[in-house]
Amino acid sequence: MAPSSIIQLNDVSFAYAGEKDALALDHISLGIAPGEFVGVLGPSGAGKSTLAAVLSGAIPHHFHGSFFGAALVDGQDTCDVTLTDVSRVVGSVNQDIDAQMVASVVEDELLFGLENFGVPHNEIEARLAAALDAVGIPELREREIATLSGGQKQKVAIAAMLALRPRVLVLDEPTAALDPASTKMVFDTLRNLNAREGITVVVIEQKVATLSEYCDRILVLNKGRLAFDGTPREVFSHGAKLRELGVDSPRVARVSNSLVQHGVIGPCEPCLTVSETKRLVAGLVGTHPNAVAEKNRATAGAPRPRAAQSSPMVSFRSVGFTYRSTGAAVRDLTFDVFPGEIVGVVGQNGAGKTTLTKLLNGLLRPESGEVRVAGLDTRETPTSRLAAHVSTLFQNPDRQICKDTVLDEVAFGLELTGVDPREARHRAGSVIERFGLPAGEAPFSLSRGQRQMVALASVVVMEPEVILLDEPTSGLDYRECMTVMETVREMAARGCAVVMVCHDMEVVSDFAERVIVMARGEIVGRGSTSEVFSDAEVMRRANVEPPQIVALSSALAADVSPAFAGITQVSEIVDLVEEMVRRD
Amino acid sequence: MTNVIDYVPGNTLLHRLNPVAKLALAAALIVATFLADTYALLFGLLALTFALGAYAGVVGRLVRLLKVLVPLGVVMLVLQLVFVQGGQVLWGFVTTEGLVSGSKVCLRLLGVALPLLLVLMVTKLTDLANACVEVLHVPYRYAFTFTTALRFVPVFSQEMNAIMEAQTARGVEYDTKNPFRKMQLMLPLCVPLLVSSVGRTDAIALAAEQRGFYLRTRESSYRRYPFAARDWAALVCCVALIALGVVA
Repeated sequence: MAPSSIIQLNDVSFAYAGEKDALALDHISLGIAPGEFVGVLGPSGAGKSTLAAVLSGAIPHHFHGSFFGAALVDGQDTCDVTLTDVSRVVGSVNQDIDAQMVASVVEDELLFGLENFGVPHNEIEARLAAALDAVGIPELREREIATLSGGQKQKVAIAAMLALRPRVLVLDEPTAALDPASTKMVFDTLRNLNAREGITVVVIEQKVATLSEYCDRILVLNKGRLAFDGTPREVFSHGAKLRELGVDSPRVARVSNSLVQHGVIGPCEPCLTVSETKRLVAGLVGTHPNAVAEKNRATAGAPRPRAAQSSPMVSFRSVGFTYRSTGAAVRDLTFDVFPGEIVGVVGQNGAGKTTLTKLLNGLLRPESGEVRVAGLDTRETPTSRLAAHVSTLFQNPDRQICKDTVLDEVAFGLELTGVDPREARHRAGSVIERFGLPAGEAPFSLSRGQRQMVALASVVVMEPEVILLDEPTSGLDYRECMTVMETVREMAARGCAVVMVCHDMEVVSDFAERVIVMARGEIVGRGSTSEVFSDAEVMRRANVEPPQIVALSSALAADVSPAFAGITQVSEIVDLVEEMVRRD
Repeated sequence: MTNVIDYVPGNTLLHRLNPVAKLALAAALIVATFLADTYALLFGLLALTFALGAYAGVVGRLVRLLKVLVPLGVVMLVLQLVFVQGGQVLWGFVTTEGLVSGSKVCLRLLGVALPLLLVLMVTKLTDLANACVEVLHVPYRYAFTFTTALRFVPVFSQEMNAIMEAQTARGVEYDTKNPFRKMQLMLPLCVPLLVSSVGRTDAIALAAEQRGFYLRTRESSYRRYPFAARDWAALVCCVALIALGVVA
């Protein structure tokens, strides 16, 4: 309630028009001081985007509904001034990068706001150049926006806001569609602006590790209410409660929280970085480096037993493909995937991962080499026939949904492969029931997470030999992500071969047994998940950041005890530390 | 991005003309095409369009567009052959008058479409919109709607491709050889495409408003589009072209 707040919400509630009973925001009061870097977390449907819309004035001016309480931006009630006036203080950046561009060339995109707000023409050039410099993209000035990468586009969107010199930036999942390297780039930019120009930053994000690294303060929303509000350390010390809400904690915070829970250390603030955690563990076990148990940890993390005589379900042999329009290519891809395996494919955007998936499901045919899926050569089999053997779960479920009800949607794939419609609906019905989805509803009326579940249900119902996942967890909250991945794991246990392209290294390390690392169209590393992630050279070549736990276990293995080498799970680290400490 | 009607950078006279003068040239070519009634003039006007394209270095793209336009022209030709009957019967339903009128309709179609597309190839969309606002006093909201619509063509075609790929991977037979079957299969795709485009439109409206769309006036544009001598010269050519259409 400090008068110095640049943004002040007094008991704000909001319900979207037509949903009178469901409050999207439920009596929220908070103040944000100038110069703060605030992260907003919460499960799907918690009201995060609604909060962003209130801060940027889009509520009450663009989205209609019932608004209670008062939102003050720089001391002005957003209900009393126009959206344009709010925008003079608050710049906002959204998740859908393409939908916030108003021009086709970078320069024009920045000019648009400057011209409209009547910035004197002799100042425009300086402002334009300064904004491009601030986000580090002066060389993109003349480029067509359509030719930029996702990370570059997001920077253009931020620059277009900066040119207007806002005092607050509100960003709604700005990195949802970006790979880890671009995510870091965007957050580094935000940190610079926050530190150098004193711009207040409010960012909604699902990536907890990133938030804890960059923010001074974290808000956790749940069902439209403010569940937690504090520094990252304060918030993540409530790991168990966060989990109940469906919010993940950084893995290293889980390590220190678990150590507290197991009584290995007294109550303390959670660790937020790998090096902190390493110091904590080194302090605990550092005095007994020789007390290392010769315990056989080999059983943990062992690959799922697969029938030795089984033949590969997917096999790539020296596969090459070049896009004629851009010249981008993949070269010499050779690998096998066996029934019952989950194989992760990682690498930066543009490394050729999507091309690999398209070669696998037959959308592209290899120019050289051979792709065999379930024994079929993809060059001789129409894509629509391959579909009976390979099911793909796409990153964006909206591209695959085309029917009026969930039941029709899930049954559609079966009907296409020639299953009798009655039988198809019966099978679809039972899968829908297992997933707890509303069979009679229109898929597009469901939430993003539920639409992804509908898409997953239509994959599961096919009972395919191969499942192909393209960023299966993007846009999902922690709980939805776990539901999707547990289902995939079940399918694998039943003998499906699973190939998963994923930017979320934590998900890859939790669920994949083997990992293929790609860079510049080639496979640069492969092997068991723990082996690959602890191979610093491969990670560097592919510009992939290993998951926190692997980074931690590698650091511990190097400096504290070799027993930590190759651990990929929080619980294993905690158990090992506990054992080392108790042995004394 | 290899969209055929994208802007092609260049520094020819055609590029440097005021966008409004370019529009006027295209309009004159179109009017002349409608007025023209001889093969010589129809072909002449087309040749002029291609010559201008060659001068601006975009003739390759114009030829690629022919691949789309010529089949359309052939459809028009066939329709004219069926409906316009007269003169001698050459073969079946083909008559001499039908052939003459059909081939002229076909040529006019090309003569109308190509000059406009040529303008889009040598003019940045924002320049076109800003110049129309400044010189022709077109309200900015219409100019913005027009440029946004054109900007969305490639965005939607990408989206359409992504949707078709997703559906093919599910087993929809887009790889069928039968064009009618393919059309029938494509209809359901309108649903996801419509859903995403309605969402996009709303988001753009919000983004534009948050950046002061409603404050914009005719004086806002940073770039200015004064009429230079070459632009007046172009206008004189326009009058000459139309006169040619009337006389010939």
